[in-house]
Amino acid sequence: MNEDNESGPPILIWFTVLMFIAAISAIFMYVPTEKTEGIIQRIMYFHIPCAWLAFFAFFIVFVCSILFLWKKDREWDIYAHASAEIGVVFCSLVLITGPLWAKPVWGTWWVWDARLTSTLVLWLIYIAYLMLRMRTDAGSMRARYAAVVGIAGFLDIPIIHFSVLWWRTFHPKPKMITSEGIGTGMANEMVITLGISLFAFTLLYFLMMEQRIALEKMKDEIDRLKREKLYSN
Amino acid sequence: MNHLGYLFAANLFVWGAIFFYVFTLIKKNNQLKQDLQLIKETLPKDSES
Repeated sequence: MNEDNESGPPILIWFTVLMFIAAISAIFMYVPTEKTEGIIQRIMYFHIPCAWLAFFAFFIVFVCSILFLWKKDREWDIYAHASAEIGVVFCSLVLITGPLWAKPVWGTWWVWDARLTSTLVLWLIYIAYLMLRMRTDAGSMRARYAAVVGIAGFLDIPIIHFSVLWWRTFHPKPKMITSEGIGTGMANEMVITLGISLFAFTLLYFLMMEQRIALEKMKDEIDRLKREKLYSN
Repeated sequence: MNHLGYLFAANLFVWGAIFFYVFTLIKKNNQLKQDLQLIKETLPKDSES
């Protein structure tokens, strides 16, 4: 099992590195500076990909949790756990890069508006998911409870997405995807740069997943061997 | 608004956090690989005795 993962997927690693070099070059050399916010607006090219990745990771948790409850296969539980941890990492980065962007533009680090608050709630839900996994004994019940939290937590994502349309918020409305189409609210260079950055971050997610899944499978293997050793004595 | 230093610091923080997480994952993976190898090596010896 693990022997297959030892060398890793070198093509994916090099392609991810290449895409990040392209993304960083585009962010600092290609994309024009936004007129109102100035150079600080370039945080967007990290902030939005981090948000996308957090939502994507939690979507994977949602799908894998449903599949686990349906099939009762530990494999789906491993995928859900791995994706939840990565999702929390990127959701934390969203909650850090957001205030870093907000301070020079809004004059404050944080406001309790619907978008920011619902994102904080999402982060807390998946922190609770990880704590539940840490604090309860290994077994199918832990996986079941975690799957329920993983599914319920995902319901916050549509609220986050539509919060800027449903309520009056400090947070700007979507510019990338509008009712007029994709990328119509931004300059072409900005759309291209954001696209490269989104793609690079998505590749990074798959690399992290590969490592995190291998880690969880090795833990399972060690537990199994320890049990075998215990019973053989 | 000129915030080049601020932007640089923010980016450095994001990258630092990502690298720290990836580094932790790789370190944990290597540690577990060693543990797994050690257990596999001791298992046949136990069964022989």
